[in-house]
Amino acid sequence: MTNKTSILALSRRRFLGGAAALGGLVATGWTGKAFAQEPEKPAEIIVRAWGGSWVASLQAGVSDPFTAATGIAVRHDLTEDNEIQPKVWAAVAQGRVPPIHINWDTTTNATKSALRGITEDLSDLPNLANVTELAKPVGLEGYPIVNTYGYVYVLAYRPSAFPDGPPTSLQVLLDPKFKGRIALYNDGIGFHFPAQVAGGGKLEDIPGNMEPAWEFIRKVKEQQPLLGEDPDFTNWFQNGEIDLAVTISTNAREAMKNGIDLAWTVPEEGSKFETDGLWIPKGLPENELYWAKQYINFALTKEAQQVWLDGLGLPGVVPGLTPPEGLAGDPSYPTEPEDFKHLIRVPTAIQVEHESEWFSAFKSIMQG
Amino acid sequence: MPKSAYLLRWRVMDGLEALVAAIWPRHFHRALPYVMLLPAVLLVLLLVIGMIQIGDSSARTLDRSTFLPSDFYTAGNYQRIFTDGLYWSILWRSLLGSVIVTALCLVFAFPYSYLMVRTPSALLRKFLLIALFLPFFIGQVVRAYGWLIILGNQGVVNEMLGLIGVAPIRLLYNYPAVLFGLVQYMIPFAVLMLAPALTAIPEEMESAANSLGANWWRTFIHVVLPMARPGLVGAGLVVLTLSLTDFAMPAILGGGSQDFIANAIYDQFFRTSDQGMGAALTLILVGVGSLLVGVVFTLFGAGTLAMGRDRK
Repeated sequence: MTNKTSILALSRRRFLGGAAALGGLVATGWTGKAFAQEPEKPAEIIVRAWGGSWVASLQAGVSDPFTAATGIAVRHDLTEDNEIQPKVWAAVAQGRVPPIHINWDTTTNATKSALRGITEDLSDLPNLANVTELAKPVGLEGYPIVNTYGYVYVLAYRPSAFPDGPPTSLQVLLDPKFKGRIALYNDGIGFHFPAQVAGGGKLEDIPGNMEPAWEFIRKVKEQQPLLGEDPDFTNWFQNGEIDLAVTISTNAREAMKNGIDLAWTVPEEGSKFETDGLWIPKGLPENELYWAKQYINFALTKEAQQVWLDGLGLPGVVPGLTPPEGLAGDPSYPTEPEDFKHLIRVPTAIQVEHESEWFSAFKSIMQG
Repeated sequence: MPKSAYLLRWRVMDGLEALVAAIWPRHFHRALPYVMLLPAVLLVLLLVIGMIQIGDSSARTLDRSTFLPSDFYTAGNYQRIFTDGLYWSILWRSLLGSVIVTALCLVFAFPYSYLMVRTPSALLRKFLLIALFLPFFIGQVVRAYGWLIILGNQGVVNEMLGLIGVAPIRLLYNYPAVLFGLVQYMIPFAVLMLAPALTAIPEEMESAANSLGANWWRTFIHVVLPMARPGLVGAGLVVLTLSLTDFAMPAILGGGSQDFIANAIYDQFFRTSDQGMGAALTLILVGVGSLLVGVVFTLFGAGTLAMGRDRK
């Protein structure tokens, strides 16, 4: 996997592109030190990513500039995060080289890998000096993961179905008018905590007493919701199957880009706020580990974050990013402390410990 | 014999025979069938080794502080499965669904197979064969997505209903949609298993029944159906086991609320990272499937799967 491309083989266009990107990297915190005694470059590094607009944004913001600057190709492995996890775990347990260099993962999933002890420590990344507190995984030592942005599970809706104005409460999910026309994630992720409030419970009771959440979800079940994954929400909105969904704002935004009339809101019960991050599995050769770290370090630059997260419409972990058009002040794009007032954050450690039983409880209701 | 009369190829064959005799002496010949069985036996052995590993995993619970399986054996995963209503309802849905799909497939596949093997028209036979094999070129997932397009709220069926003033009906994301998708997927398998059994019934048997005064219905009930039983049993077994273990149709056409056991296994392996639970559910699925097949074998024999022996 060693890059054998001679510099003489570079085209003028590629050289100029690379030089420009390199200039940008150096100006933004990619210090010359990274190149002073750099290890042998691999021909490529493999980054697991989500498909569609997710990978397109990563490619535009991080992967392509990284390749232009280093000459190292970036291959995106679109295996689902849940499916790559056991493969990486097995590879590390068996002492094999893991199938990917970098995992773009939910913080909750990544924390499981960190607890299992298979993640490399990223504390030495120079650009961590410039990031906000959001980048630091809570409850873990050092940086086995670096959070790269946050996102909100908003209540997305079709405005034409709400002639009297946008919905303000999750109670709208129980309106008989929307029977069979609402959608949730198939494990209920993003919905458990707001449902706790909608069911009359308290967030402080999580995880001890979540009966109010289950009670509310039982009522929602009577509304025959559709249950799916990220791409399903976009499809269902596009195909006119649903009017309401609790989903990540990026999916609603993607459907809007495809010409679907959509909007979203944070209901009075609040919306779940989460983070995603990047991490490196143990077992990589030294030189590949070095360049994988450089990739993540670059992903933490302001320039990379600006382009990457413009595509996703999400707030990053570097101060001073310009919100994408139309998202300044939007509830799905929190940047100031007061923006978080209606957002629900439950510590990752609690989520990791109880996620399985919450999924099971949700499924028990929905599959019953 | 002049040297030139002994052809070169004969000499080559002689040489090869001598080589074979050196490698595999004549007194080894009785072992030849067993040697030929060896690859299949090895394959089954590999499966058995896999099952032993799955069995080992199933007896270890997940430690959520390290996300590693426990060092000790426990029945915790099985206990959870048998005490959690979720798994009972999924198991029941899978079993009921596979039985319904099997029954419907046999009902639909029988006339199709009968027509295919009995029609005097070569053109019709070719058409039926092409119609049978065409779906095999389209994978299960693609077919399921095809149904999403056809049966969706804005799909062809609802658009046609709209022409006569009927409001869109939710045809997808429910149990009947899953069963419909499975029946459509499984019918070719059933036809393929039934057709050889029907071909094996001499047409003269039906003619003889007719000449003795039996009408078409009585001939069908008393002659064709009993003689087709091996095919019905074979087709039923294949459809039953494939339906019971299906993943894609419940996942795509079920709208997330009509899981079969395979979907629950996937969730445990890939969604909650609990390989022990996934392994325990896998063994239960294997057990239930084997039990069902055993019951069918006991009641009806192995049908065409018995390959001509021990047919009831």
